[in-house]
Amino acid sequence: MEKKIEKKISGTSECTGNLAVNIGGLRLKNPVLTASGTFGYGEEFASYVDLNRLGGIVVKGLSWQPRKGNPGPRIMETPGGMLNAIGLQNVGVRNFIREKLPFLRRYDVAVIANVYGETVEEYLRVSELLTTVTGVHALEINVSCPNVRKGGVAFGTDPDMVAEVTSRVRGVTDLPLLIKLSPNVTDIVVMAKAAEAAGADAISLINTLTGMSVDVERRIPHLRNVTGGLSGPAIKPVALRMVWQVAAEVRIPVIGVGGIMNADDALEFIIAGATAVQVGTANFVNPAVTMEILNGMTGYMNRHGLQDVNELVGTLRLWTESEEERKR
Amino acid sequence: MKREIMVGTVAFNRRLGDRLYHMAVRLPDLIPDPHPGQFVMIRPTSSEWPLLSRPFSIYRFSGTKDRATLEILYRVVGRGTEIMSFLKSGSRVSVLGPLGRGFLVDENCNCHILIAGGMGIAPISYLADHLRAILPSEKDIIACLGARSGFDLFGLEHFRKLVCSLNLVTEDGTMGVCGLLTDILPGVLRDCDPERTAIYACGPMGMLRSLADSLSAEGNWKCQVAVEERMACGVGACLGCVLPVIDGRGRVVHKSVCKEGPVFKLQEIWWEGK
Repeated sequence: MEKKIEKKISGTSECTGNLAVNIGGLRLKNPVLTASGTFGYGEEFASYVDLNRLGGIVVKGLSWQPRKGNPGPRIMETPGGMLNAIGLQNVGVRNFIREKLPFLRRYDVAVIANVYGETVEEYLRVSELLTTVTGVHALEINVSCPNVRKGGVAFGTDPDMVAEVTSRVRGVTDLPLLIKLSPNVTDIVVMAKAAEAAGADAISLINTLTGMSVDVERRIPHLRNVTGGLSGPAIKPVALRMVWQVAAEVRIPVIGVGGIMNADDALEFIIAGATAVQVGTANFVNPAVTMEILNGMTGYMNRHGLQDVNELVGTLRLWTESEEERKR
Repeated sequence: MKREIMVGTVAFNRRLGDRLYHMAVRLPDLIPDPHPGQFVMIRPTSSEWPLLSRPFSIYRFSGTKDRATLEILYRVVGRGTEIMSFLKSGSRVSVLGPLGRGFLVDENCNCHILIAGGMGIAPISYLADHLRAILPSEKDIIACLGARSGFDLFGLEHFRKLVCSLNLVTEDGTMGVCGLLTDILPGVLRDCDPERTAIYACGPMGMLRSLADSLSAEGNWKCQVAVEERMACGVGACLGCVLPVIDGRGRVVHKSVCKEGPVFKLQEIWWEGK
């Protein structure tokens, strides 16, 4: 067990093949991005990671006004993952542009602004402003937020609301538009198709799964907010399944997120249909994990004689009769 | 400055008492001396559980020509620390750090008072080493150590060598004065001048809150405290470990314990939010 986990996926930072991908007009030098909420605004990890090597950074979700977020405790580890109820604490879109974006512009990395809104109007205000500034290369719309005008039901649980947010934001921006879907739905494909029909350039999935954890001695939830979002290795099978289902049904690119800890995990998502991946919780375990994932992916491509990572996208083979016979 | 996560080797992992451990980790590279109050994030590399590193205050640190050893004290309070307690010497651990902002020492102060409750003794002990090393001998260093019982007080011989006066308090009276640290505080402060005294504290939040109340009742004292909070990233990115503090404009804001702390001014902490 020890050997397996300690084995570094061999690879080099030299890739003979092409790693560049195109996400609905957003050109990335490679398919590895960092997930919203797990990498701050880039500065926090800059001394641990070569930001110039990253395909892209999705910054922490931005709202119109700064948000303080929830009172603590905000996080709790659970088997193979963690729960978070941060409450979307962020500096607000205007402070982001003023204070955080200049740092990111120093690097050769795509900056994707994740956008949060409690009303459709808020999504529009934030998106419009971000569209006017240099240095923001794409928008990722977080539809897992509660719609306060509709009693706090999350936008992402209703295909009509997903379509409305997407088409309204589409109307105010010509930046590549990524819609990040919530997995807390009965049929993720319905949501993805609604976003595609309404003008999305790409779909990111998944956001966190809603969960909770209880302190049995004190008989209270570990999170002050009671419930939180589950992320990490525990959610990978769900995320992978959803990516595979959505990629089969939409024509726009899919970005896979959910429990990616190493290069093999990233490759699973690409083979299942993702054109790019986002790495989140893994950054907390090893700040330089994205670099290791890149190295591992190039190693895989070299070993398999692949000239272009795009050759790998959606190449999952289904079992054939002859394989079933060989297994028997 | 390029930083990276290190893989260290456990030199020893000694049980000191009920769920109480003392671990030393040899690091592969020399790192700059950590400041007292800083911490490291540690997890075993050989297992996928715990997923997240756990934060531990630095208790002792020694750096020689080409290697460094750091020591932590910890109590088993959950799954992560339980797994840490099973590690044997030779086990490999990943170490991130030193992290955070440590205690600031005002060398103009004549009197430095160290207050440690329970596991707070770890960073306070490291601070005591540091103060003794940098302060001239005429500066007073007074230590007040408190715990539930005498069994939870350790490292006393080491403290006695560093400080001018050592005051012990236990809730069950098995050592020192029977009671709480805040009971002996007025006596300790009596001969000190608030303008020339620095107080440094670490302990459970309940203790720090009582300390805040006692100190404001006793006058205008400068006190820094090292706090702890559950952490994930340790570098200020995930925003999981916030503490509500009152900023310069009187507003309550959330500060990351890992990056803007773990040392804060005691009077900044907004207790109603805890």
